[in-house]
Amino acid sequence: MTSDPSEGFDMVNPADAQLLDELRRAASQFDPPPPAVVEAARSSFTWRTIDAELAALVFDSGVDQPVTALRGGEGPRLMTFSSSGLDIEVEVINLGSRRQLVGQLVPPQAADIDVRHAAGTTTIQADQLGRFGADAIGSGPVSLRCRLAATPSAQPVVTEWVPL
Amino acid sequence: MGAEIDAHDLVQAAAAGDSHGWDGLVERFGALVWSTARAWGLSPDEGADVAQTTWLRLAEQLGRLRDGHDRIGVWLASTARQESLRLVVTRVADHADPGQDEPAAPPAATATPLEPEVVLWRVLYDLPAHCRRLLRVLSAVPPPDQEELAAALDLKVTDVPAARVACLEAFRDRMANIGIKADVEDS
Repeated sequence: MTSDPSEGFDMVNPADAQLLDELRRAASQFDPPPPAVVEAARSSFTWRTIDAELAALVFDSGVDQPVTALRGGEGPRLMTFSSSGLDIEVEVINLGSRRQLVGQLVPPQAADIDVRHAAGTTTIQADQLGRFGADAIGSGPVSLRCRLAATPSAQPVVTEWVPL
Repeated sequence: MGAEIDAHDLVQAAAAGDSHGWDGLVERFGALVWSTARAWGLSPDEGADVAQTTWLRLAEQLGRLRDGHDRIGVWLASTARQESLRLVVTRVADHADPGQDEPAAPPAATATPLEPEVVLWRVLYDLPAHCRRLLRVLSAVPPPDQEELAAALDLKVTDVPAARVACLEAFRDRMANIGIKADVEDS
């Protein structure tokens, strides 16, 4: 067997083991994952994309500049996703239960963009200058799939899922 | 028991497009993801968002994970923690209701006060925050291993055993105090 630093972790004294058993029973009784959450987790599988390049979230003003957000008050949230050939900048405006997206592709270029969210997919266009917008997106996780007009047969670029 | 299923095999199956492999991952790690979000003080709705984001991210990453598929539990716990933090921080920035910090207490009205599970759960939420978090994640079924627990809590793996010992001791102390009070009331 390999020398595993966590090998002894499972071994607790009997009193602790019993306490943990009781805690787990209580957790399962009082705060298990709700059925809707489990179902949503299962359905997440259908959202996977094959043969797409993943654009990682490299900047999120909500996380990286929270002080600015507090001080300035109501500034919109800015996010940047980055892949090898394309950056996607998105401004998220909070309209209560809905979100408005204002975006920019870098380098600027036309594209079809599928705004994927749990309730479905909304397809929009980025113009020649790479500008795009979407109104009335619900809150919750969102991912953009971009198909560049210049290279229609190339892999699309999908952004990491981010909750808005 | 679910713990014996090789997570590596589940990931491989899911990466190959097999939804049964994916369902197996949800069954194996769903409680860990949920417990991590709740441990960090998210409300049920916020926890649902974090859970969904975490699983959607995994679905996207399936074909791309280069790190050992053996450590998918660590990846899930770490992602759930980071997404929980993102929600907490953006919630503050939105000036949203900060009163979501307290996790659910058991339904007080419907349970007799001294039912063991109710007492246990109340004592859990009476602990200092770092122990509350640790024990809340540890109470997931199937339970996390040492590395998964460290990832969920942002602790060094080597610090986990001592932290567990300390928090279980703190928990036992409070349970003992309640027992003493109960004995005094009964006499």
